Amino acid sequence: MLEARGLTKRYGGFLALDRVDFQVRRGEILGYLGPNGSGKSTTVNTVVGLIDPSGGSLWMDGSPISDDPIGYKRRIGYVPEEPHLYTHLTAIEYLMLVGRLRGLSEQTLAQKIPALLTLLLLWDSRYATMAAYSKGMRQRVLFAAALMHNPDLLVLDEPFSGLDVTASLLFRTLLRMFAAGDRMVLFSTHRFDMVEKLCSRVVILSRGRVAAEHDMEEFRSQQSRSLEEVFVKTTGQDDFTPVARQILDLMQP
Amino acid sequence: MTRDALAVWRQRFTEREEWRLTEHFFRALFDFGFLSDLAADSFKRVLIGSVGGFIAFGLLLTRAFMVKYAMLLGTGTPERYRRALLGDDMLIIGLPMLLVAFVTLLVSHSLFPDERDFRILGPLPVRRFVVFRAKLTALLMFAGLFTAAAHVSLLPLTLLTSLNPWGEHNVLLRLIAWGIASVAGSAFAVLSITAVVGALVLALSRSQLQSLSTFMRSMVLGLLVVCLPLISHLPTLGGALSSRAPWMLFVPPAWFLGFQRTLQGLADSWLVQLGVVGLLATLLAATVVGVTYLVLFRQFERLMLRPAPTSAPWWRADRLPVRSRVSPAFEGTYRFTVKTIGRSQLHQGVLVGLSACGIGLATIFLTSARLTTSATFVPFVLMFACGVGARAALALPIEYRANWIFQVTEDRIARREQLRAVDRLVTLYVIGVPLVAAVPLLWMAYGTNALLPFAVVPVVGLVFVHAVLLDWRRIPFTCSYLPGKRFIGHSALIGVAACVLFTLTSGGFVRLAMVDETQGIVVVASLLLIGYWLRERRLLNWTRTPLMFEDEFPDQTIQLQL
Repeated sequence: MLEARGLTKRYGGFLALDRVDFQVRRGEILGYLGPNGSGKSTTVNTVVGLIDPSGGSLWMDGSPISDDPIGYKRRIGYVPEEPHLYTHLTAIEYLMLVGRLRGLSEQTLAQKIPALLTLLLLWDSRYATMAAYSKGMRQRVLFAAALMHNPDLLVLDEPFSGLDVTASLLFRTLLRMFAAGDRMVLFSTHRFDMVEKLCSRVVILSRGRVAAEHDMEEFRSQQSRSLEEVFVKTTGQDDFTPVARQILDLMQP
Repeated sequence: MTRDALAVWRQRFTEREEWRLTEHFFRALFDFGFLSDLAADSFKRVLIGSVGGFIAFGLLLTRAFMVKYAMLLGTGTPERYRRALLGDDMLIIGLPMLLVAFVTLLVSHSLFPDERDFRILGPLPVRRFVVFRAKLTALLMFAGLFTAAAHVSLLPLTLLTSLNPWGEHNVLLRLIAWGIASVAGSAFAVLSITAVVGALVLALSRSQLQSLSTFMRSMVLGLLVVCLPLISHLPTLGGALSSRAPWMLFVPPAWFLGFQRTLQGLADSWLVQLGVVGLLATLLAATVVGVTYLVLFRQFERLMLRPAPTSAPWWRADRLPVRSRVSPAFEGTYRFTVKTIGRSQLHQGVLVGLSACGIGLATIFLTSARLTTSATFVPFVLMFACGVGARAALALPIEYRANWIFQVTEDRIARREQLRAVDRLVTLYVIGVPLVAAVPLLWMAYGTNALLPFAVVPVVGLVFVHAVLLDWRRIPFTCSYLPGKRFIGHSALIGVAACVLFTLTSGGFVRLAMVDETQGIVVVASLLLIGYWLRERRLLNWTRTPLMFEDEFPDQTIQLQL
């Protein structure tokens, strides 16, 4: 189980995360929802070890990750929000680089990379550098890189942007089966539909704080409102009709 | 009324879509894609400020030539003056050619409308003809700016060389002929580089284009840098030109000198022939550029949206891994570095450009010093330039935000292996290139006695690599880059002093090895021990210090205690 205890992050005078607590249990996909600037990406960056928290701690299976940060990093796979890749490399070269940095043997790489690229429909583009790839193709490469070393915890930051319907369906199924294998998924997104269809629990973040937490099973049975309505109410989002009206007015010549 | 009309016309002109687009393309020529907004602004100022630098350089050159011409004019006969003038005119024509060639190469990524223009401008209500014309106008403005600056800066020198008591030529006519011929020479320089880039755009597929055009640009850059010291020899070639040496047909400034003399009505058949060669070469380059623009204009979609390759290019081996004896972290970093240098125009350009400075300095040594002196110092000049080039190229970032993969996989043991890969690559390059030069030079200079001096070169290289990587704790290309961390003059002074000190000391070791065999063995053994000790110490440090992903200023700000 991954556990965040009082996670806090300060950028100068700005409090991006304010004593955030949540748990990602084995076998579950935790949805992490919040409007822009609520602290989702800061949480994700802290969980994958890209930034250090200003306060609080992260625990993995009962031990603080600060005890063995390298061992912890070996157990996670990460798909970032933007497809930041070395686009002068081909998909094979990039996956080989990632595999080698993760310490995978050459034989393992030789076996896994062609199979993954074939399954993700990237094999035909294997000779092109990723500069020529669409956003969806780059996203698929990131998924392959995140899964290649068989991680325990998958951290996904808006992973479905740019993916077509087929790929989205494939990854939804894949994530369910991945979590079902006693593993964990932290799924940060803006998309309510994805959370409703995919996640076992949801944490709603607002202004750096946990505003609500729901078990999706209970939520579906008890709530008469949709997740979107709950989100709007919880995060204090206003009625957008006046803003939309103003934009339409501005469009007039 | 007239002023109002002019203001209205000006407003209408600058508001036209074509002008806006030209302005956009012109600005884009100053954008190299790897600098932050702040650094790009600073770079633009440097580039525009360099125009002032050219003018200052022109005045300095004029002052230096005053002494020479005072002497020539004092001899009483025009023969020496005529011969000197031939050589000096080649220099005056050659300098702007080299300058605009450099600048054109620097912006060679933007010489033609590309896929980005196609994707961004395609959906907008702008005619393709307007896009192409705006691009060409921007390019002409850019090249014109530097051509004009170069010619203004050389005008005083041209005037100085024109004055003579024998009435050899009409000064005004000479100035006009020089202006036309020299601008034609600069146009040739711009057009020939644009033509090479255009031919590659038309001939190669998208994936081939990246690698091959990067390679081609690096080679041309290296060639231009090597031309720097050669161009300083042009004033000495007046004799060769007047004696009709056939190899002058391969010296482009001589072509345009022939053209200038033809315009002045002072050319013999040889100079006319050179002038014709120059004009034909310019015409050929202009035709290739014109055809490229035309083909791109007519078949923009087909050329810009080429399908991804379905087979590996012939020069690349299969990229699937094979059994490897080194650690995965070493292998990954090593290959990542080699591939990036191979494919990134910026990094390859920096590496080749700075290394070519070493070749240029070596050429000066070879053409002006005795062979034994050259053989002693040239390998170390090259070594220094290669070391500086390697460090600078590895320090510049590529896709900075993609470095997260190195951050999330950082590990104490792997870090040592990753940095060992950097060490291996720098060692191979910094020792390998000078060795290639040292073998024939030392052999020619010292014959069979060269064995021990030859051994000095790699062991000096081993120690030098540690100086290059003294505070290095980055994976190549993954750390942010802060340009201008130190005052440029300060950095240049330190660099020159370090180069002189390193070259003299290392050359001294070679001399020691030449004088006495025992001394030579002691030198080699001592340097080997120092190199080994430094290497082990650094590798150990690498396991203790975290990798660097954010560039730092070298010194903390010192607060005045007032």
